[in-house]
Parts: sequence; C-alpha cells; structure tokens
Amino acid sequence: MSADTVDSGAGPAPRKGVSILFGLTLLGLLLFLWLLLGLATNSFWTPNNISNLLRQGAMTAILAVGQTFVIITAGIDLSVGAVVGFTSVIVAWLLAAGVPLWIAIILTLAFGVLIGAFHAFGIVRMGLPPFIITLATLTSLRGIGLLITNGSTISITNEAFTNFSRANFLGVPSLFWMVIVVAIPAYVFLHLSRFGRYLFAVGSNSEAARLSGVNVHRTIYLAYILSSTCAAFVGLLLASRIGIGNATQAEGWELQAIASSVIGGTSLFGAVGSVHGPLLGAFILATINNGANLLNVNSFWQRIITGVLIIVIVYFDQLRRRGAR
Amino acid sequence: MPGLDEVSDNKSDGLRTAARHPVPRGEPILEMRALQKKYGAVEALKPASITFLSGEVHAIVGENGAGKSTLIKLLTGVIRRTSGEVYWCGKPVQLDNPQEAIARGINAVHQEVVLCPHLSVAANMFLGDEINSAGLMRKRAMTEAAQSVLDDLGFNLPAAAPLGSLTIGQQQLVATARAAMRGTQFLIFDEPTAYLTRQESAQLFRLIRRLQGEGVTIVYISHRMEEVFELADRVSVLRDGTHVGTRKIGETNDAELITLMINRTIEQIYHKEHFPAGEVIVETRGLSGPGFADVSLTVRAGEIVGLYGLIGAGRSEFALGLYGRHASTAGEVYWQGRKVNIANERIAIDLGIALAPESRRDQGLCLNLPIGLNINLPIFSRLTRGLTINRQKEIENADRQIRDLKIKTPSRRVLVSAMSGGNQQKIVIGKWLSHGAKLFIFDEPTVGVDVGTKAEIYRLFARLLENGAGIILISSYLPEVYELSDRLHVFRRGRLVASHDYHAASHEEVLTQAIGV
Repeated sequence: MSADTVDSGAGPAPRKGVSILFGLTLLGLLLFLWLLLGLATNSFWTPNNISNLLRQGAMTAILAVGQTFVIITAGIDLSVGAVVGFTSVIVAWLLAAGVPLWIAIILTLAFGVLIGAFHAFGIVRMGLPPFIITLATLTSLRGIGLLITNGSTISITNEAFTNFSRANFLGVPSLFWMVIVVAIPAYVFLHLSRFGRYLFAVGSNSEAARLSGVNVHRTIYLAYILSSTCAAFVGLLLASRIGIGNATQAEGWELQAIASSVIGGTSLFGAVGSVHGPLLGAFILATINNGANLLNVNSFWQRIITGVLIIVIVYFDQLRRRGAR
Repeated sequence: MPGLDEVSDNKSDGLRTAARHPVPRGEPILEMRALQKKYGAVEALKPASITFLSGEVHAIVGENGAGKSTLIKLLTGVIRRTSGEVYWCGKPVQLDNPQEAIARGINAVHQEVVLCPHLSVAANMFLGDEINSAGLMRKRAMTEAAQSVLDDLGFNLPAAAPLGSLTIGQQQLVATARAAMRGTQFLIFDEPTAYLTRQESAQLFRLIRRLQGEGVTIVYISHRMEEVFELADRVSVLRDGTHVGTRKIGETNDAELITLMINRTIEQIYHKEHFPAGEVIVETRGLSGPGFADVSLTVRAGEIVGLYGLIGAGRSEFALGLYGRHASTAGEVYWQGRKVNIANERIAIDLGIALAPESRRDQGLCLNLPIGLNINLPIFSRLTRGLTINRQKEIENADRQIRDLKIKTPSRRVLVSAMSGGNQQKIVIGKWLSHGAKLFIFDEPTVGVDVGTKAEIYRLFARLLENGAGIILISSYLPEVYELSDRLHVFRRGRLVASHDYHAASHEEVLTQAIGV
C-alpha cells in the first residue's frame, strides 16, 4: 500500500495526455487571435499576410513536431536551430558545387539522420544527458557551418529550388503543404503505430519498458533521428525561402520549437504529447509574431508575450491534470 | 533518547514527547467520531469511530481499498475530512494540514521512503528542522546529534553517509528514527517491514516497544499477522471503507481477523493445488552473473519453484540474469532441452519467459500511462497489422485482462498511478497473460497487496500451472513461499545453499539456512 496512490473510484480518474478538449481550446485560442487581429488592423486578413504567417509558422511547426518526439521520451533537443542553419549551408554548398537538385536534397536529409544518430549514440552509449549532447551540437554545428562558409554566405542560384517556397498550390503556400506532408505520417507514427507507443513507454519508465521487451535504445535513436531530420527538412525549406545558405540562420529556433511543443500540451517530464498540439502551438506563436509586427508592437514585447503565454497555458494544463485526482 | 533539544538545551535524556500533552496511559488520546471521507459520490472511509488509547500499540488491518491509507492521510492532515470529528487529548482538532499534525506530535512512517537520497542521513533526519545559529546550519552538530540518536536506537548506521548509499531497509530505519525524534506523541507505521531484513525488523520492534514504554502511542498497519500478534495490544479491522470491529489481541486470532477482513476463511488463501509435473521447461547449470553465482536449478511444467532468502540474497539478481537483463558471466541455460544464450530481454520474452519484477513502481509499470497501454506493452508487435496497430485487438486484449483479473477500474484509459497496490500488481501480471509465456517469474508478487487480491493471485498461479506453465516464485515472506512451492530453494549471499521438496523441511530449518547461522 503506497502512501500516494488514490483509491480507485475516488473521483474522476486521470486520463492520459493531450485531450480533445485541450486541442479544441488551443484551436479556439488560435481562431480568437485571428479574429481579434482582423478587427484590430486592416492588413491582417490580406492574402499576402496570411501566406506569410503560414510560411513562417510552417517551419516552426515542423521543428516542433520533431522536438515533441524527443520530449515525449523525457529528453530534449537543443540543437535543432543549429541544424537548420547548418543544413541550409550544406544544401547551398552542394547546389553551388553542381550536385543535382534531388541528390542534394537527399544528402542534406542524410546529414539530419547522421546528426540525430550521433545524439542518440551519445545518450545511449556514452550515457550523456540529452541536454548536454544536444547543447554540444548546438554550439559546434554553428562553428562547422562557419568554417565551411568561411563566415560568408553561399548564394543559391537553382531557380527550381528557390521558387518552391514562393509557390502556391490550391491557393495555399507550398510551405504550409509541407506541414501536412510531415504531420500526417507523424500522426500515424505517434498515435497509430507501436513505435509511437514505445516512445511514450520509454519516456514514462525506460526500465519498465525494457523489461517489457521494448528496444529502448532503438526507440531513442528513432526519436532523435526524427527530430534532426525534421530540422534538416526545415533547413531545406529555409534555404529555399531566403535563397542563401548562411551558418548563422535560425538562431533561437530551438526555443521556439520547445515553446510551441509545450504550449501544445507536451510535458517536459515525458510521456505526454501529441502531433496536433505542437502544430497549433507553433501557429499561435506565429500569429502573435505576425500580429505584433502589424500593430507595430515593439518586438521585445513579443518575447514577453510568448513567455507569459507559456506560463498561462502550461499552468492551466497542470490544473486540469491535477484537478482530475 | 537525545532529541532536537539536546544540542541547544543540553537536556540529557528522555524523548521530548513525554513532556507534551501528557495523557495518562490507557486513557483515550486520539478519538475519531464518525470520521468520514468522500470523494464526490465515493465513500473512501465510511463514518468510523475508533478510539486510540495513550501508550498502546494499536494495529490496523484491512485490504487495500479498505480505507487504511485514507485514514492515515486524515490523521496526518494530508487530506480534509468530509464529516465527523477528531479529538486530540480530549479537545476537538481540525488536522487540516500536515504542519498542524506534526505540531501536535502526530507523525507517520510510510511504506515508501519519502526522503532525499542525495543528502546525508543526518541531513534527512533534521530536514525541515535544522539546527541553526544566525541562519547558518550547524552541520557538524547535526551529524553528531543524529549519530547519537541512531546509536541510541541501536541502528548501526553512519550519520554522515548519503542516504542513497543505504539499502531500502536501512533507509526505512532512518525514516523511523526521524519520526521518532520529532517530539512524536502518536506514531503511525504503514507496512514498515515490507523492505526490512529480519534483523532490521527486530530492531524496529525493539524501538516500538521502547517508544511505547516512553508513552508514545503507536498505530501499526500491516498485512503480516504474526507481527500484529507480536506487537499489538488491540487491533481494528477495516473492510470496504468500514470499521468492522476492534478487538483486544488476547481475545482474537488471525483466523477471526482474516474472516473480518474479507469474509472468507484462512484455508482459502494458502490452498496449494498439486499438479503432475510435466517436462522440464528451463534448466540452469552453474549460472553466474552480477550478484549471484553458480545457481543450478530446474523448473518443470505444472510446478512452482520457490526462491527464499533474505533481501539481498541474490534471488532477484538471478531472475534478472535468467531474463537477459544482465549478461551472465558463467554457466549455461537450457530451454526445453536446448542450450540457449539469453542475451537480452527480447530473446527471453520470445522464448516464452515472463517477469513480474520486484519493484512494480520502478521496474514493472509506466505509472503515468494508461492501464491499457501497460497491459499491451509486450505484445504490440503482435497487435500490429502493417504499419499500424489493430485498435480493435488492442482494446479487446486490455479489456479482457481487466475482466479476467478483476482489476478495479472504470476503464482501460485510467492511469496506472491512480490504482491501489493490489490492482497495480494485477496490471503487471496482466501484461504477461496474453503473451502466453511458459515460464513465469514472480518477484515478490504480493508485497503491499491486500489479502483478497493475494488470494486471487494464488488462484491465478494455479490456473497458469494447469495450462502447463512453470512458475519461479521469489518471496521474502516465508509462510507464502513455503506453502506454495513444490520445490523450495534457499539463497544466501548470492548462492543457492539448500533445496527442499514440498514441506520437507521445517520453517526453522529454512530460516536458519537463509540466515546462515
């Protein structure tokens, strides 16, 4: 008899994770913000602005999904911003060296896989905390990127590549379609496949998962490889969008990704998370960014608003979870 | 016994306790009148009226879900009552928060150690009540004071060592010393001997008698009847949230208590069914690994092989070695006659071995995940069709185990952390039932589990044996492993030192072999 177990039947029992109600709340918040901004300024509801918002949010959203896989395993990936910058350099460099477009893309993604595998190796074989190994990569990848470019910028002249980010399909920016391209397999992976279940189990109690036959090492490799590959993918999108490869890009994007994930209901303690949550979180943050720009709010205020939002949403989520006990 | 006062006031002896609110021995010190706790519509504790007399050892027995943990939480101020009154030394008290309870001298020693493993023993003992002068902690003074308290209690423990370096049993003793030190007048023990060795239990009982001699009222909660009858003056029985009776120890016996607890008789609990032994499932020859050496035994279909020993004797280590958790350093394993190398858990599971580990919280369960996910965890690859899991089968399997094992939950989506100890143990077992294992290893399957669930688990053993499985039962509770094992092996210091057929040796012989006198 443990001192802290609740007798079953004592009140509504706690259920897992990111509930439908919470997801709807986030969606409601997003729509509310859009309505508010539409009323507050004329330029919000223009096709140009909405496209911009979707494009900016798209990149954070994809990063946030990859990050969420890692956080569910009770880990963290601080390197994703650096990976974005680094892989934008890689693809620019490859294209400038005359490598065919699709090969360049595949090679760049392969870099993402390698970096993720390196993280997992550090965690599983060397026993390093995720915070430490991804922090190490965060700093060193920037350095490697700067070495490769000698501190300068590589221009991308491949028009097919750079036009992609400006294109629209069915009126919606292609970058946003990329979110869908990532989100659907991510959803299948996390919620419908056994590997997703294993992520949650490892994040909850890796020893119990191991004794239940889960290959814990493989699960960790999977989580970090997915996160870095998402980051590499975003690196491609970014390079396409701005037309250059520069090692200093995407500064601070890892924190945006983590914030989006957390606002989306992911718990930093592990074993709680979803795919739709981080997506909504990312677009909420992008909306705040966008709205603040339009309203000419000092950009410093945006950071404060983001911080407040994180506290408020996570606090109410904690209340909801604790209230069920 | 030197208390906190010693360093600052130089009081030489005697617990601080006796100086507080003295109530003559034998007079009511804490009285519950119609004390009730409801969570919404559910009555965790129906109106209960129990009187605790000053200086007595009052045992409380009852199944999980009977209301014992609710009672403790009400008396220590952790939760608020729904209705009823509590009288302390004749005056009504609120007991709304833990500080109030501690201030009155009501303390509890919980089953799970709730201290800080990274801090020293002394730091833990003084936690929240440190010796200060001008805001700076007097660390050396605290370590010395703590050491003298520990020595005085007869616990052979170093006050300066990190708490985490001690065994769980020793940590429990530190928790006990801490509670005893705090000017305690009313001390509640919740399953204190679950993780203690026999010597540590003996030390604990000496302490309890000594505290009793000094006027402290002790409430002792345990599933172990022999302890209740050894220590207690009176015993109260809870069943399904109801207080069903209080008896003087001399006027009752364990059969009556068990009947009160579960409305069933004692014979129905340890009823051993013998099945014809089938073919050999697993044989180990000279198996050695971290924590155990040279273990040779066999398990046949239809039999329970019991491993008895003191805590730390190497039985769990042997089980984990057999299960592939750790690489073995020597010896061989034969599975159904064929030599195998169990290098990891997946190999063991695929062969047909199931392990319900020693600590269900640390090794057996993902506490903040739903019951259904926990139950299906070993067999997800079987439930997968192509890329995705077959939801239908996933749900069916979880519901089936919940039904078959009678796990008390409204749904498979409830988190495991909300379940009582007995139900959690059922979930651990339920994980393996759909897997269809041939060899089940149960490591301490009934620790912290109520009598009713225990009986259900034993019946489950019989069902497994009937279906041709073999069982390795690891238990530190001699009556249990003695009654259930077809073959009993005794472990001591990592080695298998003796083997007996069913009832071939006496309790005393087995115990002696385990201790190694």
